[in-house]
Order: sequence, then C-alpha cells, then structure tokens
Amino acid sequence: MNIIVLIKQVPDTTEVKLDPRTGNLIREGIDSVMNPDDRHALEAGLRLKESGGGKVTVLSMGPPQAIDVISEALGMGADRGVLLTDRAFAGADTWATSHTLGKAVEKIGDYDLILCGRQAIDGDTAQIGPQVAEYLGIPQVTYVFGMEEVKGRSMTVRRRIEAGYERLRVSLPALFTVTAEANSPRDPVIGSLLAACGAKAPIQVWDAADLGMTTAQVGLEGSLTHVIRTFPPKSQRAGEILEGSPAQAVEDLVGRLKERNLI
Amino acid sequence: MIRSDAEALVRKTMARFVDSELAPRAKEIDEAGEFPGEIFRRIGRMGVYGIRYPRDRGGSGGNTTLYCIICEELARGLMSVAAITAMQCLMGTNFLFHFGSPEMIEEYFLPAMRGEKVASFCLTEPEAGSDLGNVNTRAVPDGDGYRIDGMKTWVTNGPVADFFTVLCQTDPAKRLKGVNFFFIPRDTAGVSVSKPFDLLGTRTTKISELAFTDVRIPRRYMLGGEGQGMRNLMSILAEIRCMTAALAVGLQQAALNDSIRYAHERAQFGSTIGRYQMIQGKIADMATDLDASRLLTYRATRMIDEKISCIKEASMAKYFATEAACRAGDKVTRILGAYGYSMEYSAQRYYRDNRFLLYGGGTHEILRQNIARWAGL
Repeated sequence: MNIIVLIKQVPDTTEVKLDPRTGNLIREGIDSVMNPDDRHALEAGLRLKESGGGKVTVLSMGPPQAIDVISEALGMGADRGVLLTDRAFAGADTWATSHTLGKAVEKIGDYDLILCGRQAIDGDTAQIGPQVAEYLGIPQVTYVFGMEEVKGRSMTVRRRIEAGYERLRVSLPALFTVTAEANSPRDPVIGSLLAACGAKAPIQVWDAADLGMTTAQVGLEGSLTHVIRTFPPKSQRAGEILEGSPAQAVEDLVGRLKERNLI
Repeated sequence: MIRSDAEALVRKTMARFVDSELAPRAKEIDEAGEFPGEIFRRIGRMGVYGIRYPRDRGGSGGNTTLYCIICEELARGLMSVAAITAMQCLMGTNFLFHFGSPEMIEEYFLPAMRGEKVASFCLTEPEAGSDLGNVNTRAVPDGDGYRIDGMKTWVTNGPVADFFTVLCQTDPAKRLKGVNFFFIPRDTAGVSVSKPFDLLGTRTTKISELAFTDVRIPRRYMLGGEGQGMRNLMSILAEIRCMTAALAVGLQQAALNDSIRYAHERAQFGSTIGRYQMIQGKIADMATDLDASRLLTYRATRMIDEKISCIKEASMAKYFATEAACRAGDKVTRILGAYGYSMEYSAQRYYRDNRFLLYGGGTHEILRQNIARWAGL
C-alpha cells in the first residue's frame, strides 16, 4: 500500500502568543516541531507499511526550514519526502493550502491512502485533511484512532465520536485524519536522520511552477478568506480572594457554593 | 539544495527525548539506583550507540562532534544515563569494532549497537590508575590463546556488562610498551564481578571490581597488535576527554536552567530573587563558564573530526568544563537556598554527579601538569 502522509511544521507550544499590535504569532524563542497529531498519522502509515508493504511518502508545505520535519519523518522510517516551498505560498488560507497539497498529491500519484493529523496545534482548524479529500474526490474519515484490516481495495477503521466510536469500511484510495489516541509514535533513528541530511536523501523540493500553479492560485492571492485582524481573547475569568481568618473564608466559600446550588 | 543541518537535527532529536522521556523520570531513576535497562535499550533502538561508526559497518555514520552533542544532551537529563551511553559508544566498543573478527562483530558488536548487549572497559587496577605502566593483570600465552589473571577496579557497567575490553600486561619488563587490550565475554569461566560500589553520584551507573582467575581466551581476542595497547589507548584519549567535557557541558546547562527558573519564581522582599545582583552574578558566572566550556569542547571535537591532533585542546576542554560543572553544582545549590539541600530537587544531583567527571579521562592533577608542559614550562 502506498501512503502519503501530510505533515506540518508548527511552533513547539500549545500556548501560542500573539503580538497584540500586529496580531502575528510571536515565534522568537520558540522552537519548531512536527505537529503532534501528524506524528501519529506518520506512525500509523509506517505500521501499515511494515505489515503490508508499500511506501510512505511525507508531504509538507512551508518555509525552507520545514525541511526539518521531512528529515525527521525520514528518520522515523518514511521512504520519500516532498517539501512544497515558494514565497508565493505565504499567507495561504486552508483552501489555498489544500489546493496546493492536492496538486502535489496528484503529482506524486500512485497512492492508496492519505493520512493527516486530526489538526495542527497552531491553526486548530482541522480543515486541511477534509479539504484535500474533497479536492481529490476521494472518501474521507476524520478522527480515526484504529485501523483494522485492509481487504482488497477497502479498509476497516475506527472513528472516534462523542461517547463511543464508529466502525467503517472505506473504499480506497481514501484520506483519514488520525488522532493521538491511535498509537505511540516511534523515536527517529539517528543513522536515518543523518542520511536524510545528505545530498542523496530521497527528498524533493517543489515550488508553484513545479505543480503547474500560477501565483494567483496559491498563497494569499489564491485564498478565499483573508484575515482582517487576529487578537487574543480578553480573559473573562476574574479571581476573588476571600478575606478573613481561614474559618471565616471557608464559611464564606461554602455559603457561596450553596447559593449557586453547587453543593 | 535544501537539507537539514545534521548537528541541529540530532541535538533537537536528543533534546526532545531528554525533555519528554528522561528528565521527567530522572529523580525516579536516580533514586532506584538500578541499571536503567529499558532506557538503555530504547537509546540503542535509536541508533545512538553507533554514532561514531560508519553506517555500512553497523554504525549510524556520525562523528565525534555528533557523539559529544548526544552526550551533552543526555547529561542535561541524567548524568548516569549519559555516562552509560558514552561508554557504549566509545571505550566499550571501539577496539572490538577495529580489531574484532567478523564473528565477534556479529555476536557482540552489532547487538551492542542495538542496545541488546552492554559493553564495558577495564583499565584501572588497585595499583594502576594514572600510572598504567603498573598494570598487573597478566595475559600469558597459553596454547593457542591466552590465560588472564588479575583484578580491575572502577569498572563502569561492570555488574551488568556482557563483555569487557580489558587492558592487560603481556610483558611486565616493558611496562607501557607491554600492555595490550583483550576481549573477554562475561560468561567466560574465571570471570567474577563484585557487588556494585556505593557511589556519591551517578547512582544508576553500576561500577564494580572485576577478578580474572585462570581465564582462558582464544588468540583472536587480543584486540590490536602485540605491544600496541598504549598506542591504541592514545588514539581515543582526546575523544574520551572531549566526551567527558561534553558531559560537563550538559550538567552545567541543566544547573543553569534550574537556577534561572528558580530565580524567576522565588520572591523575597517583594521581588523575584533574579532581580538581585548577588543572584545575577552567579547566573552570569554560570552562563559564561558554560559558553567557554562549550567552545573549548566543540573546538576539540571538530579537530578530531578533521583528523587534527588535539590532545592539548581536548585536555583543556575536559579540565575547564569539569571544573566549571563543579562550580555550577555549587552555585545552583546556593541559588535554590535550602531547596538546594533537599533531595526533592535536582540541584543536589548536579552537586553529586559532577564529581563523576573528575576522574575518568585523566585526573585534573595530571591534566594540569601536562597543560603546563604544553604551555612551555
């Protein structure tokens, strides 16, 4: 089974801070890492390869330094990496990003399955996977946490839903978004990491022209949505310190909780 | 061509492992005082032990700089795990790799690279430490092999090792020119291992004595040519010193990180203590020591990678970085005040673990003597 895994380089924090003046992410002092959910998607792909054969290709769009997540994926066992990088890709919304990734998937070709993380920790949209599937016109299953059997051109998966899960049989090729519940990702292997840094590493770097796309189709220009302003929400929670002796404070606290029918 | 920087990527990979897996469990592992087998095997699966060896011969295709980056990062998490790793990558396997037969490589070296076998290195004896010409463990030709008799002490990994690289004397009259390395599997008849020593620091690094009584080994177990032991040891001495310096850099980084974090949190007299000049002075000294140690260490590793002789530079790096690690262990326990005296915090561990670095790869008494000589005295 040939598998394409979509991976993204994100800031290494779940508490991204915004510059209140510009609305941009403050990236200084924050390292970049492979998006945590994407790591689980990659692990799922590698396990499928190990059990049934085939190849795993990782695909990422980002600035040149996003090469690090491609190298790391090769270090974990991926066979090939493709980085989409072009100044014209900057400012892409989820539509333009999905469109560009979809074109790259078509160029890679010969795939049975596309895996992505459930969502990225920087944007939290969870839109890329489903939009890529829509662009390619293939079935999609989101929130996948278990992959059971591959039978001919179909596959059985488990999908997390509120208070339970669904078992679905899906025809291939398909796209799954994978949750952290799916597996424990492996460590990269140092020798493979070092090989991924070498000139002969199986990594390709493509720009818009390589995908046959014009600048009007990618990045900010190719986006259907434009961000007018980004701002952190004002904190609505105000604490209150109860004064007096501990006994008085406890009495006060219990009284207030009773008032609100909380105890 | 766009490619990742190998050093930055390896550092990041190890830092991630240390921050998510090793550092959070450091206290528990240190207190358990047992050989951390599970972590040892996991590091093996990552291909760390082969960092110095070429990829086509079972290694990972790295170099001394990458090896020291790994040692530094692991030492930032827990010195004893870093020390065990350092041994497995270098002293424990180096001569086996260079001089072992294809069968020995298959049976011992490759499993050691995968973390399935533990390696050890035996130099020191009760009467021979810095003075290796005084080695008394004898290797006597015996039929088509050798008979080994003697005792080694301060054997890192001794109680858990599957095989040993042992410095033995084949011709006592020749002193240093008569010493050779021999490969001895642990399960060879006549090998006995003492109880682990009770140590001040690096408490999960198991160190013991080793006795060889009428141990018979085949001729191919001599690692390197007759009388070449000292020359072979010298070939890795600069690297051993760089590695020790890198361990010291990792410990300093951990102590500095904890000091800064605490100085930001602890408030006295209405202000965090980091705003007071006395604390700032300590932090400034630690940061400067760390930077200088790192520069000295990686200057020497890059010389090794470029095959430039650097025993002076490596000795200076080991001496300076280790002394700086001792200063860092002292300062962090002062900055944390009474908490630096508590076993609940890591500061005490840095204070104890830094002592481990003082002895291996040359005592500072010997190193300073040599450095003075190289300086022209």
